Amino acid sequence: MKLLQRGFFFAMLALTPVICGAQLSVSGTFRAGVAVTLQAPGSGTSTLYLFGPGGAIKQTVQRGTITIPGDNFKIAGRYTAIVDGSNAWFFVNEAPLANISFIARPSRVPAAARGAVLGSAFLFDRFQNLVLASTPVDFRLATESTKGEDRTVTSRNGVAWVQLNSGSRSGPAQFVASSGDVSVRRVVQQVAADPCSIRMKAARAPDGNILVETAPIADCSGNAVPDGTIVTFACVDKRGRSTVDARVKRGFARAELPPSSAATLSVAAGVVLGNEIHWGGGQ
Amino acid sequence: MRTPTGLRFAAPTVLALCLMFLLASLPDTIHAASPKSRSLDTSAAAPRPVEETTAASIERDYDHAWKSLVSALESNQPELLDENFTGTARQHWQRAIELQKQNGLNRRIVDHGHSLRVNFYSLDGSALQAEDIADLEIEYRDGSRVLSSEHIRAHYLLLLTPAENSWKVRVLEELPPS
Repeated sequence: MKLLQRGFFFAMLALTPVICGAQLSVSGTFRAGVAVTLQAPGSGTSTLYLFGPGGAIKQTVQRGTITIPGDNFKIAGRYTAIVDGSNAWFFVNEAPLANISFIARPSRVPAAARGAVLGSAFLFDRFQNLVLASTPVDFRLATESTKGEDRTVTSRNGVAWVQLNSGSRSGPAQFVASSGDVSVRRVVQQVAADPCSIRMKAARAPDGNILVETAPIADCSGNAVPDGTIVTFACVDKRGRSTVDARVKRGFARAELPPSSAATLSVAAGVVLGNEIHWGGGQ
Repeated sequence: MRTPTGLRFAAPTVLALCLMFLLASLPDTIHAASPKSRSLDTSAAAPRPVEETTAASIERDYDHAWKSLVSALESNQPELLDENFTGTARQHWQRAIELQKQNGLNRRIVDHGHSLRVNFYSLDGSALQAEDIADLEIEYRDGSRVLSSEHIRAHYLLLLTPAENSWKVRVLEELPPS
């Protein structure tokens, strides 16, 4: 009889966690998209609740080892599981790098401009979680047939950024951010910067006007300024000042100024002044 | 009638153990909301400093975002996130709310405040990343029944992007404790 009583005592003791609510446990580190295993001591069925940043589930489970499929853990962050009123929380970390979101600015930039090209790379896994582990990201800005500029930056909290000089050649430049097998490309159009210098010559037109024409206009890296760039010719004589705006066409700009017996001719484009010609009194 | 000795000792012991387990697993009740604390530190922002007006907008819009998240999680109304969330943050939390609704669950959050620190502000002003230490009490519920509750200091990483006239939360990811 005593043995029976003792047996009953120990059986009740062993069953206590089941009767009263066992402590749910989970151990280890988890990665997004991978199944998670929980331990809910006892036997029989119960209800599992799981709350996380990307979901909330309620399902009947068998106590003991509970495996929750990875589909429920696509989003990195804190998850709280509840069984029999006992809870356990754990973290799901991001999966390996799968995508780079790359912002390149501006889309058009003058050639040979210091620190003019900006790139920000945001590193994501295949579930769009930020990849928090420090990861080297290579940034490369180059036009075809040039070496261009290259820089490697280590990401911090999923972000890597760079500020590069634009190349000296005009044309479409490939701006690439890459890490491991993942690579993203943007195109930055490098255009000629402001003219470096402007030279013009003047001649008398058959109708008596003054014909002015520039030499090919280029920036300081030798890139021809784009067609359509405005060039202003000015003529100052005893009657006053007159100006003519002309557009660059195929590298040159030309215009006709009113006739004058003695005048000072000048040329400018943007903030760049060209040469002066003293007309009529000898140059 | 005489109670057998074993049972006489076993019954109170089991009762005591039961009480201990029950107390340990009993969810804490959520305390009444204390005044919310907020702080924003922009001193470590790089590569671009955060202008004063931008800082004020961030503080205001992030506060709105949390208010809408708290309401949406409690009332299971995913559309409440539309105004302050975008991109993956909106998708992820809306999915969570839809699943809550589907399963008859909800979360009640008492937000005691945030301590924000800006790490990154892009030179062109198109993205801002910050870390947030949030003081939160969370009640997990099945209908109106409280399943469990916890008081946490959660460490979030967030990415904000400017919209037409406000900043929107694009990423809101809780970081593991360091």
